[in-house]
Amino acid sequence: MSDLEVQADLGRQARAREPRRRRLGVAEALAAACALFLLVAAVAPSVLAPGDPLAIDPLSAFQPPNLAHWFGTDESGRDIFTRVSHGTGGSLMIGILATAIGLGLGIVLGTMAGMLGRVVDFTVNRFLEVLFAFPGLLLALLVILVFGPGAQTATVAVGLATAPGYARIIRAQLISVRSSAFVEAATVLGRGRWQILLRHILPNTLAPLFVLGTLGIGQAVVWASALSYLGLGAAPPAAEWGAMLSAGRTYITSAWWMAFFPGLFIVLTAVTATSLGRALERRLRHA
Amino acid sequence: MHSSVHSHRPAVIGAVLAAALLLTSCAASPGADAGSTPVKGGTLSYASGDAEPTCLDPHVGGNYPQALLSTQFLESLVSRDSNGQIIPWLAKSWTESPDGLVWEFTLTDGVTFTDGTPLDAAAVQANVAHLQDPKTGSSTGYLALAKVASTEAVSANVVRFTLSEPDSALLESLTQPWLAIESPTGLARGMDENCAAPVGTGPFTVESWEKQDSVVLVRNAGYTSPPADADHTGPAYLAMIIWRFIPDSASRFAALQAGDVDVIDNAQPDTIVQAEKGDTITHLDAPRPGASNRIELNSSRPPFNDALVREAFIRSANVDDAVSSLFQGTAKRSYSALSSVEATALQRPDLFGYDAKAAGKLLDSAGWTARDSAGYRVKDGARLTVQFPVSTNQSIPAEQSLFEQIQATAKKTGFDVVLTPMDLSSWYTALGENGYDAVSAPYTKVGPDVLRILFDSAGIVPAPSGYFANHAQVNDPEVDALLAEAATVTDAGKRAALYTDVQNKVLEGFYILPLYDQQNHYLLSSRVSGARAMPTVSTPTFYDAWLPAE
Repeated sequence: MSDLEVQADLGRQARAREPRRRRLGVAEALAAACALFLLVAAVAPSVLAPGDPLAIDPLSAFQPPNLAHWFGTDESGRDIFTRVSHGTGGSLMIGILATAIGLGLGIVLGTMAGMLGRVVDFTVNRFLEVLFAFPGLLLALLVILVFGPGAQTATVAVGLATAPGYARIIRAQLISVRSSAFVEAATVLGRGRWQILLRHILPNTLAPLFVLGTLGIGQAVVWASALSYLGLGAAPPAAEWGAMLSAGRTYITSAWWMAFFPGLFIVLTAVTATSLGRALERRLRHA
Repeated sequence: MHSSVHSHRPAVIGAVLAAALLLTSCAASPGADAGSTPVKGGTLSYASGDAEPTCLDPHVGGNYPQALLSTQFLESLVSRDSNGQIIPWLAKSWTESPDGLVWEFTLTDGVTFTDGTPLDAAAVQANVAHLQDPKTGSSTGYLALAKVASTEAVSANVVRFTLSEPDSALLESLTQPWLAIESPTGLARGMDENCAAPVGTGPFTVESWEKQDSVVLVRNAGYTSPPADADHTGPAYLAMIIWRFIPDSASRFAALQAGDVDVIDNAQPDTIVQAEKGDTITHLDAPRPGASNRIELNSSRPPFNDALVREAFIRSANVDDAVSSLFQGTAKRSYSALSSVEATALQRPDLFGYDAKAAGKLLDSAGWTARDSAGYRVKDGARLTVQFPVSTNQSIPAEQSLFEQIQATAKKTGFDVVLTPMDLSSWYTALGENGYDAVSAPYTKVGPDVLRILFDSAGIVPAPSGYFANHAQVNDPEVDALLAEAATVTDAGKRAALYTDVQNKVLEGFYILPLYDQQNHYLLSSRVSGARAMPTVSTPTFYDAWLPAE
């Protein structure tokens, strides 16, 4: 194996190397436990709460947390624990899909800018700058204004709103990887452009994206909840955290639990996603 | 018979005292402290949860948010006292010809608009013309004056209305803020300017309007024309009113608790219950006149063109439990098309009981026998869907929750109720496109003539503003005939009997599902004295109100 071949091989190894085993921190363990809990709630909410999240019981409305209703009941006597549990799937799905849309678009735009030469780079960058001129949530509101409110539009809106950020990071990552020694080596060895992109550059760019994506899910869940809170996402009486939070706000002076628990789960999801993302980031850096 | 009404001050004072006693006994009038002397000056802060008007001139369109504000700066020809009697205001007396076709109003002496224009017969004529001009885009006022064929200035202070047919509701209509008398000079400025700051004869004037924030009203120092049931004469006590728009109910209540505002409207049931426990906030419950709050079922298209399906929907809705859980005793269930404020309101509790079994049988006999995988009824491949656009501006959160509960109980019978929360303009659009099966629209009007607005087949045709009021799209010649007769008879007993017949027909036809009176709850800081709700359309008036010296 020539020196150059070794260099080129390092590129593959950079992502293939076994991460060093480290002990799990308390925060990470907690985050993992939360993530597990949220996953169970998302996949099989009935395991945690067997009831119907939409079932009303007007005569037991506004009950504070008690043994029969762990998180209390809302204005129509619906069980808040059941609703929060059943809402997990929807909220996480919106978060994951929105992040996927954002990342997917980010990868396409970022790769175009990073790989297709100056003219494309310039055009894409200016386009991204225009998008950056709008705060993310405002961009999402704009999308909803055009396509009408609803859970699907909210997902797409949050995805589109986060895309420019991802595209920027991916472009920068691509440019730095592109000028690294192993890519130079591969170029000198005469490997094709696509082969270099697919085998050397993208894999080394995408690893940090995994971290970004995990962090992004937390943010997307918060944004999607924010849109529902504003009445632009899932419509009541859907068991969606943001919509529940909004309904609870009306009664915040007399029934704190209506807003507290959906809010708690939004925070929990965001914190869990962030902790996991940070943990992944640390591991990758140490690797 | 030539009937005539004159202003007699002693009688009026007696009525005022009686009204004051009545209010104190309901703990509704915070200004009833004996021996307290009104203080002049001070700024009252009002926070409204109603939609912010797009135009402050209540002639244009004509909705409740406009009435709330314009009550402070515009006045009507006549008013109504708390006993339901018509009393003098800008008109000091009036006469009706024996055939009911000619009315003459004598105007109160020495009244001028705040721009200096005198109130005379020509001014009243200009207002009628403005309301009847399609370009004004009036709906409430336009409909109320439908029978006024022409007006004439008999002298400088006597104006004559000539009607196309007798109108038993004319005086009731004229009490309303939507038919208030504005300065003709002000009207002549054109719609934009007049919408921004209408000019009237009221105790306050519009100083400025910062959109989506507040309207500033200042005292009219030359005020001379209080209605006959007011507590005092001369200018208002307050120097200024800051009228803020705080759509969020929790923020509005928090602002009141913190002392940032002195009065809030559209108080939520839970906050009313909370306020009544303490002694720093008083509660003024003033149900609006006119229609009760009800769900109207669109009988012009499937599935509600079938009376059986309408009855099935009504029987499958558990309203009683919803009202008691959501309104916590602040609202009473209604079984009438009319507000309980109206003496002619007919209650029919026998028609509106919750009975899921009976509802199921009705659907079976209407041919909706099969159910799909989600449990909804189907017929000829179509699901039993009820499109229900909900105006988030007009339905308070508790009412929106009530619709959710009706959605949940009706689902058991097999109805798929699709609730779509909308802002006011999208909601109007949905109604205009006939894109609804059920809708809840408030309609406030003084007197039982509101039945004509809501159920006469003419109400299916939009008014110049584009709004139509017969959302149930009742198209029944018998109902039309009864309404037409009731609108022309002058005999009170006969009129009431006709309205009873109309109500029976409408209720038995299952066109509407009555819920409760139009809720109209004000919460006032105990600092505020002398505020009251007008006995006309229950808007608050701050003419007699005052705050303690700082």
